[in-house]
Amino acid sequence: MTVKVEVIEGGVPHTKIMIAGLVSTLVCLYLTYLNVLTNTEMFAFFGGLAVVSALIWGSHTIKVLCSYGIGTGVPSAGMIAFGSGVMAMLLATKFGMAAPLVALVLAAVIGFILGYISNNILNMKIPAMVQALTEMAVVGALTLMGFAALITGGFTFAGLTTGSVSMLGMTVSSNQISFIGGGLIAVAFLLGAIAIQHPFNACLGPGWKQDRMLMLTAECGFLSMIVAAIMSFALISAGSAIISLVVAIVGWAYAYNQYICLSKRDAAAWLDAKPIPEMEGH
Amino acid sequence: MVANIIFGIGITALTGALATVAGSAEDTESNIGSQGDPNSQVQLAPQMGFLHRIFNKAVAGEPPAYGLWCALGAGLAWAFMAMQVNAVLAIVIGSVLAVLVQGVYATTAYLGRTASLAKFGQPVYVDILKSMTSVTMAHAFIAVFCVVTLCHLINGALGHPFPLPLLGLIWGIALGAAGSATGNPYYGKERQYQNQKFGAGVPISASGNIVRYAEAGERNSLDNGFFTHKIGGSASGICFGLIVFLELWRTILFDKISAGWGAIVVGILMILIFTVVDRYIEVWARKNYGPYMEAKVAS
Repeated sequence: MTVKVEVIEGGVPHTKIMIAGLVSTLVCLYLTYLNVLTNTEMFAFFGGLAVVSALIWGSHTIKVLCSYGIGTGVPSAGMIAFGSGVMAMLLATKFGMAAPLVALVLAAVIGFILGYISNNILNMKIPAMVQALTEMAVVGALTLMGFAALITGGFTFAGLTTGSVSMLGMTVSSNQISFIGGGLIAVAFLLGAIAIQHPFNACLGPGWKQDRMLMLTAECGFLSMIVAAIMSFALISAGSAIISLVVAIVGWAYAYNQYICLSKRDAAAWLDAKPIPEMEGH
Repeated sequence: MVANIIFGIGITALTGALATVAGSAEDTESNIGSQGDPNSQVQLAPQMGFLHRIFNKAVAGEPPAYGLWCALGAGLAWAFMAMQVNAVLAIVIGSVLAVLVQGVYATTAYLGRTASLAKFGQPVYVDILKSMTSVTMAHAFIAVFCVVTLCHLINGALGHPFPLPLLGLIWGIALGAAGSATGNPYYGKERQYQNQKFGAGVPISASGNIVRYAEAGERNSLDNGFFTHKIGGSASGICFGLIVFLELWRTILFDKISAGWGAIVVGILMILIFTVVDRYIEVWARKNYGPYMEAKVAS
């Protein structure tokens, strides 16, 4: 038995956010393919934008799911999103240009199966569970693919597992210096998993507001993009990494500033070094 | 052979020492941020009418949060090392950048949680935000730096096959789990409820009624960090230090025996010994400090 503890009041409906998130994520992922067409790495930053839009969609899905008391905490939702998404993403990278679409379908299937297991076999019986886990697996897979494109400039399996290292003036191909071989996928996993659950986890409560939460998601997304762009210096050309870094810093500064303004708007009071206010009846 | 083992034991001792420092800093950081399970009471207090000046940064549970900070520090350090930056410098810069991310997450968590409690009149304290965030960042830096360094030692000096970011993830989660399991009860059950009978747990009627006033003035989270560091922090440090030390110690000494099975058997033996010792301490503690003995007699 679960009780829905909160309802979505006003704001943009979830279906609209889902469609907008899905379309913009896929478009951004495919825009990174311009790297292959133009033989540069300059368009890697579109991977980061794909991450931000997928996370905005995903954090709202978490809001829909976790409005029911699921009993495992909000962060667990982020972990299962990326745990199921990473399988689909890794397999999909073998499909070349079709990778984002294959990841979408595979992740949806994996998420649906997990949702079915949780609801019908583990008997969690939460109405939004199947749809939410399906969506979150897709978000997880596409976010990881976005990070991969941001850090390496592409999303094909060969690109993610081979890199080059220059030693004593010679360039040697190496599996160690790569997104998967170097373990950067573990960092991308947790960057995404924390960024997707943090906005709802931080903004939950009676005064929850949709615009404040989604602005925080954008902030978390751009923050993750900043550090991912710094890591990309190791794998793509410095100029391309600088473009990603600048885009990320500008986006983050805007979102962080807006989030603070929204928090100021919603807070009961904004005090600096003042004592605890006296409450009536206490 | 013997020289290898001596070298390995030396590295093991060094990583154990680093882990002890990391555990201690981690627990203090999470207590100042009211992270982990004590967080629920800090979140609940304003809803029960107890407004407070305690920092409330719930980014996630400690294990996933530290999984991210340490994996991120290790990933950035790895990237700098791949760019031929000196290892020491790479680890320091990587940890600093990871801690900046931690600080930003901490501020957004405090602002978000507090703004959502507006209905109950809980204000946002800007001075709390400024002073607590910087202190948690300082402690998080110590923890992340120590973990990334010990991961680099495990990878570089002991030849562990996993890449640095993956080791950062594993040991970061282990650090968060050790700090959460060992240190939190001291903050959540004792420090927040000093006004209740010692060892009585938290009765439902006292939920949210956390101690909000200090020896002088109003209590903030620095007072909590100062208090819990003495025992909770040290216990977490010993816990994580022992985990890292014993894990590497058994691998170094017994890994060569029957193709790795020696280390596994020793590991299982250690778990059994710890289970027996823990059970003995638990029974002993219940007998000596046990709950409600007098109450039973009285009824």
